Amino acid sequence: AATEPKFPATQLALQNFDMTYSIQFGDLWPSIRVSLLSEQKYGALVNNFAAWDLVSGKLEKLSARDFVNDAICHGEVEAESGQTTTPSLASGSCSPNLRCFTFPRGDVSRFPPARLGSLGVMDYYLMDAASLLPVLALGLQPGDTVLDLCAAPGGKTLALLQTGCCRNLAANDLSTSRTGRLQKVLHSYVPQDIRDGNRVRVTSWDGRKWGELEGDTYDRVLVDVPCTTDRHSLREEENNIFQRSRKKERQMLPMLQMQLLAAGLLATKPGGHVVYSTCSLSHLQNEYVVQGTIEFLANQYSIKVQVEDLTHFRKLFMDTFSFFPSCQVGELVIPNLLANFGPMYFCKMWRLT
Amino acid sequence: MALNNLAQERRGVCYMGVSDWHRLIPLAWAHVARRTPLREQKRTCASLLCQLATASKGGSLRKVSCVEPRKYVRESECRANVTRYRLEEQRTPVARGVLEREKVISALLDMGFSDIHVNELLSMWPSVPTQQVLDFISELILLGLNPEPVYVAVKKSPELLKLPMMHVRKRSSYLRKLGLGEGKLKTVLLCCPEIFTMPQRDIDGIVGVLREKCLFTVQQVTRILHRCPYVLQEDPGELEYKFQYAYFRMGVKHADVVRTDFLRYSITRIQQRHVFLERLGRYQTPDKKGQTRVPNPLLKDILRVSEAEFLARTACSSAAEFDVFKKLFAREEEEKTESPMPDSERLSVDEEEEEEEEGEEE
Repeated sequence: AATEPKFPATQLALQNFDMTYSIQFGDLWPSIRVSLLSEQKYGALVNNFAAWDLVSGKLEKLSARDFVNDAICHGEVEAESGQTTTPSLASGSCSPNLRCFTFPRGDVSRFPPARLGSLGVMDYYLMDAASLLPVLALGLQPGDTVLDLCAAPGGKTLALLQTGCCRNLAANDLSTSRTGRLQKVLHSYVPQDIRDGNRVRVTSWDGRKWGELEGDTYDRVLVDVPCTTDRHSLREEENNIFQRSRKKERQMLPMLQMQLLAAGLLATKPGGHVVYSTCSLSHLQNEYVVQGTIEFLANQYSIKVQVEDLTHFRKLFMDTFSFFPSCQVGELVIPNLLANFGPMYFCKMWRLT
Repeated sequence: MALNNLAQERRGVCYMGVSDWHRLIPLAWAHVARRTPLREQKRTCASLLCQLATASKGGSLRKVSCVEPRKYVRESECRANVTRYRLEEQRTPVARGVLEREKVISALLDMGFSDIHVNELLSMWPSVPTQQVLDFISELILLGLNPEPVYVAVKKSPELLKLPMMHVRKRSSYLRKLGLGEGKLKTVLLCCPEIFTMPQRDIDGIVGVLREKCLFTVQQVTRILHRCPYVLQEDPGELEYKFQYAYFRMGVKHADVVRTDFLRYSITRIQQRHVFLERLGRYQTPDKKGQTRVPNPLLKDILRVSEAEFLARTACSSAAEFDVFKKLFAREEEEKTESPMPDSERLSVDEEEEEEEEGEEE
């Protein structure tokens, strides 16, 4: 049998992106492309279960800044000066107690690896700072019951716990090996008394079934779906979704994503909120999925879901991240060499009925 | 000039030659030379060159020495008084030194150097005998350089005057063989006076890389040395790497490497600008058929233009982004040479971009 010509999956990914994104983003594509192919920027999420004020001080000494705090202050100043017309979307709607440090625009410094603190947990968690935005946008409030439908490897799950708002947190991921990683993260960062009991539940079930499993249950749901993981697919050959053998799977992604979002919405209490997020630039995996799912739920279940406008939210974080200006629904952080975060798409929805 | 060489070799006889020369009244002769119209001066220069050439090719020195005095004695006969004065003077060593200096001065003036330049040249390295200065400069003139560039080169690198003449002659002949004479040598000498001082094996190293490793033709090598003289100062391994980068990584053919003076640019500049363009999607390495999806920008628009123009016209990007890119790229290169660290070792780094692993059911 003839062997397939050796063409790395990372190359196939790049070719795919060149074709799709040059059209989708036009003149913006080259600057996104060079950023995706260069080292990404990280944020340090402070562990509130450690000595967070000391940790914050340490990070400040490195000349990093808490971009969440900066954004909230920025928002408060604007509200006071009467520049915002929608006070309900002011800083109060961001999930509270999140502290995340980044280096300024254009600064390529790296954070030292996280260390174990005196309280037996790690001091901070390094992640793509843009990953925090879906959690901030979800707008947790004290006492909320929260579902993280595709939780692994656990950065966003950890952030949800950091808010201190979760009465109960259900963290699920289909893959057992990935939930294993999630457990490790929780063990390293969250004290046992919080992990124990009914406060945090980790499962490895099929997320698509959640409508049936726990319908109308949660105040806040995060649906951070599997996607083409654009940045990762350009760098890592192993298990790359652009391998020829995974072509069908890749083409089925939007369908899978819609099913997961639908399940997440079904699992939300009426009046509750959902944030859908991906780390892909693809219109087909982002807006298309949101719009398709909302329509599906309206038609099949007569459930009314409204997209929430995040314009004000985006403005709070404009100094730290580069946002794509033309999303139909939701917001998209695009990588830029000066702020090499993302890609991160997120869209907030309100289940009305 | 040739006479003085003779003088160095055959002491006894030289006095005869020297005293013949005395009758030329060098100083007076110099006056004559200066008052002679330029065209005639050039002829004088040309005839001198001719004689020098004959001399350097090992022609009979004696013959040369005889021709000169006869020609000029006629011109200076009227200065008999000065001659007598001179003849008395020349007996003392100091006088001999002065006389020699006068000869050298005239010779240099003859070649077309100005008074000021002559004085400067002779005082550049006092420990070097004036004769040696003259010999070296003559050699450069013989290689086809004009006085002005010679002056500039020597002024820039006075250490050239210290070189032993045998070495200088060997090097000159080698440079001629390489095709570096006349105007070509001027550029090289100004950028790279080391072309005379560097050991032969170092030049061989560079030429060897160009000929045997990079497979440039002889004419191409000449052109490269002429237009990119700094290659002589490069490490041969790095020069070879630079060529390989052009040929394999960027798909630039030999003729274009030569035509665009590619080797003149630092590898840093080349890599920074090329990789930046490549990652932007604006440069593609040609495939086996030499084709690219979209035509690549011209090499001159990548390498030759200023950074501002490169960013505005070729890259269509901003200075701020390029600055960040340069830092990131430098770090990547640095870490490439260190031992690679697997990603899994970065314990607390979130791999949010993890692959969906299908089929791993409970």
